[in-house]
Amino acid sequence: MSTDLLSFDCRFQYGQGFTLESAFALPPGISVLFGPSGSGKSTCLSLIAGLLRPDAGAIRLCDTTLVDRGSGLWVPPHRRRLGMVFQDHLLFPHQTIRRNLGYGMASRDDNGTRLAQVVEMLDLGGLLDRYPGQLSGGEQRRVALGRAMLSEPQLLLMDEPLTGLDEAMRDRILHHLHQAHERLGVPMLLVSHDQVVVRRMAGHVVVLEEGRVVDQGPAHETLDRATTRTMASHPGPINLLRVEEVRRSGDHHEGVIAGQRFHLAGPIAPDSTTVYVRCLPRDVALLIGEVSRISMRNHLVGTIRDLIHIPGDHRALVAVDVGQLIWVEVTDSACRELGLAIGVRVTCLIKALATDVVG
Amino acid sequence: MTGWWLTPPEWQAIRLSLLVAFWAVVIFLPPATVLGWWLARRDFWGKTAVDTVLNLPLVLPPVVTGYLLLVMLGRQGVIGRPLDQWLGVEIVFTWRAAALASGVIAFPLMVRAIRVAMLGLDTRLEQAALTLGAHPVRVFFTITLPLARHGLIAGGVLGFARSIGEFGATIMIAGSIPGETRTMPLYIFGIMESPNGIARAQGMVIVSILIAAGALIVGQVIENRSHRQAGGPKR
Repeated sequence: MSTDLLSFDCRFQYGQGFTLESAFALPPGISVLFGPSGSGKSTCLSLIAGLLRPDAGAIRLCDTTLVDRGSGLWVPPHRRRLGMVFQDHLLFPHQTIRRNLGYGMASRDDNGTRLAQVVEMLDLGGLLDRYPGQLSGGEQRRVALGRAMLSEPQLLLMDEPLTGLDEAMRDRILHHLHQAHERLGVPMLLVSHDQVVVRRMAGHVVVLEEGRVVDQGPAHETLDRATTRTMASHPGPINLLRVEEVRRSGDHHEGVIAGQRFHLAGPIAPDSTTVYVRCLPRDVALLIGEVSRISMRNHLVGTIRDLIHIPGDHRALVAVDVGQLIWVEVTDSACRELGLAIGVRVTCLIKALATDVVG
Repeated sequence: MTGWWLTPPEWQAIRLSLLVAFWAVVIFLPPATVLGWWLARRDFWGKTAVDTVLNLPLVLPPVVTGYLLLVMLGRQGVIGRPLDQWLGVEIVFTWRAAALASGVIAFPLMVRAIRVAMLGLDTRLEQAALTLGAHPVRVFFTITLPLARHGLIAGGVLGFARSIGEFGATIMIAGSIPGETRTMPLYIFGIMESPNGIARAQGMVIVSILIAAGALIVGQVIENRSHRQAGGPKR
């Protein structure tokens, strides 16, 4: 047997319309199905959870075959040991939060220790005796997450777990998800169309387009390739840089990106040593040669890996590898005058104030 | 007039009506629930035929329904004969026949109310329960039924009120035996044939109206209460 957590190879057709025909394998850990809406991500989740039956193909989880149309094997959804967090939560409106959380608990005789653990981790203590209708969207999402985790799944499936939340709540849920993964060791498969979420969460990414797998592999490399493909379309790439060894230095914070110093603006949580910084490609400038004195605080040296001219728009996107990939937006004329080309060594200049720390 | 303005035979008819309506609902609500769920959720060959047969008692003259029941449940009927021979149970011309007739007439109303409630239910909540490892039977009892409860209540109340008013089928299969099958409508009909009937029927007419209105109010109160328990107007 392989060491894959999940192997998926299915064909499924909705009526006369959309056809999904995809095959992928997921390693243990956190994986993401990434792609634009309508690409078949949620359909994959429903097929894995057993809420849809594939027209052909098979799905295996660890050593168990969940469905195999060839041999006619079918495990019904309630025997699959998969937790599912739906995009619209689907909490049971007639039950208190406590009963919602306990609904799928596999062992009723654990004296509530597991329940207590999840309640504490997701900060649900004050909500237990309320009904779902009395909760905010973010609270409902945390309950849905807790409910799925308490069913002790072998794999947790999540459909757009962060869409529609404000930034603070999104950071909090991301934090909870990481914690859940570390403390409970639950493998996860997320569906998302948000690059930022995917970069922060995933170890492994499967890229779907129009029902087909177009790419898969380790998160960052795969996303860089996916970004290249969808470049000209809205919203284009967003840079999300991982800054490590964050420490206080005088009146500001600074850290390291791939061995190069990086200044951070804005408040940083006191105990974080690794943060993510977001900046737009148009807020990054390119320099060839040496810089002597400049107010822009961040200078990251790297090599141009890719260069894409956007047709009819007189601008280009340049991918610079500084240890991580940074996308830079320049005009066509700047591109010509500087002689930008793949393999050229450049310095990326980023104003600390143009960056955004996302936790 | 002694004590109060209802005579002992009138009280007897009221008690009998309540008993008959109660059992009609108790016996027919569970199958109405299953059938309502089935018709709301499943598409199958012959669904239209099932629908038609189910709704026949709504449009047939109750006397015809009563006739058919009599043919089936009489001592020589396809159902009546084995019941009589093997179990020694006789149904025709007992209060049980009245309950059965009322239940059959009210059945389509109950199914319809429950079916509408089941159709309005978000089936994805049931899917969510399945992914949490709950067996489909558990899902039915813990998710489907509680969420469709207003349909069950409406079905029960409608069925009860309709049973109280049942006349045609009851008189065919149960007759009008005082103390055994003479329910309120049969009593009123009987008294109208006696001298000064219009005046003497007044009391029972008022009681009929009160019971019907009372059933509707009780149904409304129960539904409001279960709404509040679920935390406000949401679903």
